[in-house]
Amino acid sequence: MSATRPPDPNGRASWVDWLERRINLSEIFSFLTHFGFVITPVDTSRPVREVLREVAETPVPKYASGPRVLGLLTAILFALEAVTGVLLAYYYKPTPEAAFESTRTIVRDLPAGWFLHQMHAWGAWLLAAVVVIRLLRLFWDGLYRAPREVLWWTAVAMVWLVLQLDFTGRLLTWDAHSYWATVRGMEVVFALPIAGPILAFLLGGRVVNDDVLIRFYALHVMVLPTFYAACVYFTFATLRRVGLSPAPEGRPEATTTFRDHLYTMLMLTVGLFGVLVTLATVLPFRFLSAADPYVTPGGVRPPWYMLAPYATLQWLPVPAWL
Amino acid sequence: MSAPRERAAPATGEPATRRRFLTWLSRAFLGLWGLGAAGVVGAYLRAPEHREKVAGHLVSAGLLDDFKIGEGRLVRHGVSPFYVVRLDAERVVALSAVCTHVRCIVDFDRERRVLVCPCHDGRFDLAGNVLSGPPPRALPTYAVSVRAGEIFVHL
Repeated sequence: MSATRPPDPNGRASWVDWLERRINLSEIFSFLTHFGFVITPVDTSRPVREVLREVAETPVPKYASGPRVLGLLTAILFALEAVTGVLLAYYYKPTPEAAFESTRTIVRDLPAGWFLHQMHAWGAWLLAAVVVIRLLRLFWDGLYRAPREVLWWTAVAMVWLVLQLDFTGRLLTWDAHSYWATVRGMEVVFALPIAGPILAFLLGGRVVNDDVLIRFYALHVMVLPTFYAACVYFTFATLRRVGLSPAPEGRPEATTTFRDHLYTMLMLTVGLFGVLVTLATVLPFRFLSAADPYVTPGGVRPPWYMLAPYATLQWLPVPAWL
Repeated sequence: MSAPRERAAPATGEPATRRRFLTWLSRAFLGLWGLGAAGVVGAYLRAPEHREKVAGHLVSAGLLDDFKIGEGRLVRHGVSPFYVVRLDAERVVALSAVCTHVRCIVDFDRERRVLVCPCHDGRFDLAGNVLSGPPPRALPTYAVSVRAGEIFVHL
């Protein structure tokens, strides 16, 4: 170590000092603040240790609790989906011949493959629930008003993106249930006036075949997650600008330090992980036989968030010409 | 660790010990959690082996009469492809087709009776020796036997 540099107050001469003489670590760290993850401006001319210490002691509103946690959960659950999704994509083959076989290999033969599969499925279930509840809560509390419009529109976009991710991901396993759920879903898409034929063109036709599968795969792993990540960025960056949602009526704003906030977030992730592990182990999603385009199995139903419109449609007297 | 500032200054030694113990406990818990997650992902990531077993096999390279004198053929055998070259009426040699430099597949030059690597122009003679170019080692050669007119290569 260089003798001219003052020793670290903690007496630890480490790789951080070594690196800091070569790269501006504070600059790199300040990059994170652009994403709103760290809610404080950073002086990039100072050493990274000082910056981190200052950031750790910065008071932040306690937002990993109450209804505000929903926004955080949309990001944490998405990160979990990204990690498990990448791991699943390592073994998945998006062709009609190999899709079911490769999924079965993951679920049945690979160590912990079933676990990652179920975690991904349950994570998607929870993510759909969280974004919908968050949208309802933003609406209920009137948080769509100026200057928070961007937050509202990104929340709407996130709901739409998660439902599309769920729809495209559902087909990928290519088992009987997923296949026929997609066939029915596609019919709904095509029934839309004007947008229907355009979407049919973009999605690769009316018949669910290899063209549709590869497009769903590309949408599911590349296009939609990118847009979702952009929405997460917009959410956090806008929050930095307009501030968090106001505290509930008559209650003072509780503040904490950033260090504690990180710790709470870590605990939140661990708790979430526990919930997901429990669900994945106790209530695994079923995985049926391979899809046969000539045999429709009984009991094919839409995903849970579509059950209400589905039941309404069944109950309503729909005229024959519709 | 997560306690607010106001409670951070214990008057006696005992709460500090308890605090340290709780910190240690939560860190140990998180460490175990991370270790378990890493183990699961590691076990999943270990790719299933698709490698073929090639050692100790007798591989048929076709009938001797099908080879013209001076002819060499590439046998596409799993991860260890090799050339079979008929030198004259009786002698047949077999040598690896995988260049010892960066694992390109060498070409057989029938005119000059050499093996030429298309990647960096490494040249080998039909005994596998390096004639020129960057390959660091000779090509492995395999024993050949002709039984009832059929060529067998001992990999």
